[in-house]
Amino acid sequence: MPPDAARTGLLQGTLDMLILRTLLFGPAHGHQIAKHIQQTSDDVLRVEHGSLYPALHRMERKGWLVSSWQVAKERNRELKYYRLTPAGRAQLVREESKWKQMAGAVARVMRPKPGGLS
Amino acid sequence: MKAWNDLASLVAILRHRRRRLAEVDRELEADLALEADEQQESGVPPAEARDAARRAFGNATLVAEDVRAVWTIAWIDAVGRDVRYAARLLRRNPGFALVAVLTLALGIGANTAMFTAVDALMLRPLPFERSDQLVRLYATRNGVADPSLNGPSPLDARDYAQASRSFQTLVVYDAWRKNVRFGETGAEPEQTRVGLVPAAYFEMLRIQPLFGRLFTDEENQEGRHYVAAISARVWQTRFAGDRQVLGRTLRINDEPYTIVAVMPDVIPEWMESTRVGRVEIWTPFAFSNVWSETARVMHGFSALARLKPGVTAEQAQADLSAIAARLAAEHQADRGIGVRVERLADTRVGTLRPMLWLLTAAVGLILLIACVNLANLLLARAATRQRELALRAALGAGRGGLVRQLLIETLLLSSLGAAVGLAVARLGLTAVMTEHPADLPQLNAIVVDWRVLTFTAAVSLVTSLLFGLTPALSATRLDLVDVLKQGGRSGTPGPSGRRLRNALIVAEIAMALMLLVGASLMVQSLVALQHQNLGIRQDHVLKGHLFLPPVRYSDPAAITRFCDAFAARVRALPGVIDATITTAYPPANGWTQMLEIPGRPVSRIEDIPTAQFGVADAHFLATMGIPLVRGRNFEDTDAATSRPVAIVSAEFMRRYFPSTDPIGQQIHIGPPPFLQMAPGVNTSDSSDATIVGVAGDFRNAGLAVRPEPHVTVLYAQHPLVNYGFKDIVVRSASEPHALTPAIAGQLHQLDPELPFAEVQTIDEVVAQQTGGPRLTTILLTLFAAGGFALAIIGIYGVVSCLVAQRKVELAVRMAVGASHAAVLGLVLRQSLSVAAVGAVLGLFGAAAAQRLMSGLLFGISPIDPATFTGAALFLLTVAAAATLIPALRATRIDPARTLCQD
Repeated sequence: MPPDAARTGLLQGTLDMLILRTLLFGPAHGHQIAKHIQQTSDDVLRVEHGSLYPALHRMERKGWLVSSWQVAKERNRELKYYRLTPAGRAQLVREESKWKQMAGAVARVMRPKPGGLS
Repeated sequence: MKAWNDLASLVAILRHRRRRLAEVDRELEADLALEADEQQESGVPPAEARDAARRAFGNATLVAEDVRAVWTIAWIDAVGRDVRYAARLLRRNPGFALVAVLTLALGIGANTAMFTAVDALMLRPLPFERSDQLVRLYATRNGVADPSLNGPSPLDARDYAQASRSFQTLVVYDAWRKNVRFGETGAEPEQTRVGLVPAAYFEMLRIQPLFGRLFTDEENQEGRHYVAAISARVWQTRFAGDRQVLGRTLRINDEPYTIVAVMPDVIPEWMESTRVGRVEIWTPFAFSNVWSETARVMHGFSALARLKPGVTAEQAQADLSAIAARLAAEHQADRGIGVRVERLADTRVGTLRPMLWLLTAAVGLILLIACVNLANLLLARAATRQRELALRAALGAGRGGLVRQLLIETLLLSSLGAAVGLAVARLGLTAVMTEHPADLPQLNAIVVDWRVLTFTAAVSLVTSLLFGLTPALSATRLDLVDVLKQGGRSGTPGPSGRRLRNALIVAEIAMALMLLVGASLMVQSLVALQHQNLGIRQDHVLKGHLFLPPVRYSDPAAITRFCDAFAARVRALPGVIDATITTAYPPANGWTQMLEIPGRPVSRIEDIPTAQFGVADAHFLATMGIPLVRGRNFEDTDAATSRPVAIVSAEFMRRYFPSTDPIGQQIHIGPPPFLQMAPGVNTSDSSDATIVGVAGDFRNAGLAVRPEPHVTVLYAQHPLVNYGFKDIVVRSASEPHALTPAIAGQLHQLDPELPFAEVQTIDEVVAQQTGGPRLTTILLTLFAAGGFALAIIGIYGVVSCLVAQRKVELAVRMAVGASHAAVLGLVLRQSLSVAAVGAVLGLFGAAAAQRLMSGLLFGISPIDPATFTGAALFLLTVAAAATLIPALRATRIDPARTLCQD
């Protein structure tokens, strides 16, 4: 099941990290997670439903998330809420450090130190 | 690692799969509704909100599918699809499915049943802790096993235990028939088997009493031995499971014994050295006379030992052989006596081992025949399925996928076959267990459990590969273009396909013929065995056992008086032609006696003349119907006070008086003076006897064994061998069993304390002793019938298929002038030549298998030419008949219609 990297425009693995990070604030349902990522990134990152839901289920299968049905507070609707497990927290730490490495590497390529390529 | 991940997620998936798949739609629907709510809140009209939400959401069906895909594993889905597809195919082809499943059920069922028996008799661990350390000791004479010796004499066993370093414990024990009265009063005494064992016997087997205590060492002394342990069975059936049973009294041979323990029922019946029944009561091994040097020659006891940890049976054997050799050199009585160590687990299968091997080979052949049949069926089907397979290949299915699909079809078949086969096996085993002969107590241990189920599963897996792989591989070796170009016509198998199928038929015929030869040899052997001339008039003869306990019959004269009175009363009963009190009756005696014969001085123990020996009254020959060959019969004048006389058998005369007339010769009953003997069989003059007559031989050493020399004397004249155990043999005018109550009544009028036990006709004794061979024969015949039927069905199917596929060719032949007879001959010749090759191979196979048979056959050679020829002719005749049906169909081909079709 390759994640639709092309559809999201995100690097592979990055969507997982964003979802895990979002859930660090507390349980949320799928729609809420997508909204949160979109809003926090100032509408830059739009998470397609076609990528979000398979990703959520894949992470649940791996044991990073657990899900339960709860009635949303502000509305009279039962929604499926995802919650982070300890394994999910550990995964978030791993993904984040990987991402930092990656971002640093990209940054070094884009903005080489003086004398680097002379 | 990948496999492990697959497995882990498989578990996770399977746990919640159903719920999760149902939830996907619900989750998406809920979030979609939420989106619509939000659209509405931001001002979109309610009517459009939902559509807008759906647009924002993207293709919900596709999303749901992607989510579901997370919760599946590709290959499992593919396999599931294949299974469903295979099941659909089978449903569409019920005839094929039925034949295949029944064929497999027969093959797998027979093998499952056989494995169950082999497991119970040879593989399953014994019910004792560290049972691998337990061995039995048998005495040998001049290097060969001698069943009449059983274990070493107690004195030898004691010396083995002292001198060897191989054993933790070594125990001598015995089991006797005794008259037991279970209640204090009122109850009838019954003949029961009583084990005579020291406490070490139970300790060695690591059996604890359910409650109570084991015997003390003191209680192993004669006079202090009046304590008994009872089996849990006896405790339940005779004492209603009463916890207060300890301290109560049993009367054994008219003496009171105090119950001190209840033992669990863990000692299996086959462990008892004698044939008749389980041991239900144990008393201490208390003999005053077995531990003195004169008793070194006393054999007949059993011996069990537990090896020290790490010592093998082979090491113990080497250890004991050395000690036995030393004892043989030191003691005259041990000359020629050796010892054999056998693992207790190996003694379990006993005489059944060759039978098991034979039947295992037979069921193996059946399974192979079944596989060959199915392989043939599948090959035939594959020919008609070529287009389907080609189409699937053309649409992109890889060869691996096609093979997997075909193998899953065969696996489904063999699983169904295994399920039905398991039921067949259970039915068969139940039938065998209810019918099984009383002298095969090992069969009681047969159970169907997880070991058997595992075996069945493994067999069905191997089977499906065996019969499925070749057709699958050959069917998927496709030339797509060729097959698809052929249009609607089913392909004619090429020469390689036909060769393969001919080879399968050859194998099938060969195996069926091997089964047929084996079964007919066994049947002839059994008939020979059962119609043996025992040397007596076998009809209407009833025998029963009695035991006169020494407490009340301590004097041989009292035994004589009782026996004479009892026999006279029985002879007076209406319907009784004659009756005799005797210790010997056919087909086996079991009392071997050393003798001194004039003109044959011996100085070595191994040269001492021996004969089967019996004590009887004067009616012995008349009741048995044994002819007198020479001299005179016993007469009423041969009384206790007159000169002792003996009647010997013709074989005795041949062996010991080859050139002189035995009449008038005096023989001595007992060993020569140089051999010190145990008391009771001493050398006093009163055991001399004068031969007055020679009688015909009768079977006295076993049903399948030549009669041995036999000596009969009168118990009235030989008080030293006039023991309390006797049998009465009655010849009746009508149905012998009808007399049993009257005979028992006479016995009880004389002595109400004596049970009348082991009542059987001689026919029944013979039937009991042929139980093993009969069971083997019945099973082998059933297996042969099954294998034969499968082979015939196989050859019929193949020839039918062949005719169908060569229809066009045959039509052309007929169109250009071939007569019906020529077509018939063509088809018959081709298939029968294949069958004939199979038959020749089968005869070689049967000849090669003679080693399996030779030990089981009686009165017929394992390569009996008439049987071989007859079986081969029979098989070929039936094969020809089976071929004739499709061959005749070939002659009815209408050339015009057939050729116009294409």
